Amino acid sequence: MALSAMRDFLARHIMRRIDVYQIDDFNMDAPEIIRLKQRVDTHSVKPEVQINVTRPFDFDQEIPCKTTRLNFAANETVKTRKHKIKKYTKKDVKTHNISFNKKIRTWKLLKQIQALPQERKNLLKLQKKRINVASNEMILAWYWPIVDKAVLKLALNKQRGTLLVWYTPGSRHNKARGVYLIRRLGLGEKPEWRWV
Amino acid sequence: MASQNNSLGYIMIEGSEIQIRGAALITDSKGFPLDFVRTDPLRPEHLARILYGDSFGKYAKEKLILESLLDALEIAPQLWICNDDELLVPLRDKSRVKSVLLEVSPHVSLEAAGSIETTADPGVFLIQAEPTGAPLRAEFPAATRPEEIQQVGATLTEFSQTMNILEPFTRLEKALNFLATGRS
Repeated sequence: MALSAMRDFLARHIMRRIDVYQIDDFNMDAPEIIRLKQRVDTHSVKPEVQINVTRPFDFDQEIPCKTTRLNFAANETVKTRKHKIKKYTKKDVKTHNISFNKKIRTWKLLKQIQALPQERKNLLKLQKKRINVASNEMILAWYWPIVDKAVLKLALNKQRGTLLVWYTPGSRHNKARGVYLIRRLGLGEKPEWRWV
Repeated sequence: MASQNNSLGYIMIEGSEIQIRGAALITDSKGFPLDFVRTDPLRPEHLARILYGDSFGKYAKEKLILESLLDALEIAPQLWICNDDELLVPLRDKSRVKSVLLEVSPHVSLEAAGSIETTADPGVFLIQAEPTGAPLRAEFPAATRPEEIQQVGATLTEFSQTMNILEPFTRLEKALNFLATGRS
């Protein structure tokens, strides 16, 4: 062994020669290939909702409808390393019956609305022809049309400048007139209604 | 429902998607009430509003409120007047009575009472019902015949001699507000 080593040493340093051996039996095992692909369980998150409609719409006309796009965060990625995603819970979904065709209750309230007065605005600015008044009189307002023979009550709304009119129920009179509100100038004089 | 000439019908349906209610008033030529019906407020479920979206309001107005009001009335008027364009066609179709949408117009008064003028909008006319003041803006359902428009114009002009044509809407609104809030 020592002689062989000395011969190699001398051959390498003096003769610049080195022994080269051929390896005939290169029986290495093929490298093991491990696939890194991981399997991920996927589950639908669409809830199983059941809606029972007792009676659908029965429109006579076409209804314009539009759809709304639902985004399920498609641009978001979920990183999986060693573990499978198992975050999925299936819940029972309650079902409800919805009726869109329920009958609306109605109320007859004729007496209540008959008690409401009609309101007449002051039309003096719009009137083209006015009555002649005395020099000590001034026209404040003109209300029209009012069926004077059917009037039950008149009241002046001083805040709004309107005339409130209540008619007698069942009155057959149907001829309308106008009424002026006239103020007499002078101490102690009261406004006067003048029908035309 | 008995038909009664010399009467006008007014209908008002108002509210939001949370609550809708309506009322109908029939008046004689003096504006005196002959029949009045109002509905309970309709409060659609949240799920119904989601499922049907914008179409629910139209459905509620036409199918639920309007039909309930028309069923409950005992008198059919000579003409229906509304202030909502969504009611114009269903009101005519369901009641088989002429209907018109009336509003105050910003135009100057026309020549004389009874005058009718066309506008740039199809189906919309100006009607000078009262002798003074601005004409009414009258919108008719599509395919209303010209002679029907003339008839409605004549009816409104005739009724304007004894009542203020748009005034009953004020009472309807007051009645609905009173019933909703308890205050007039």
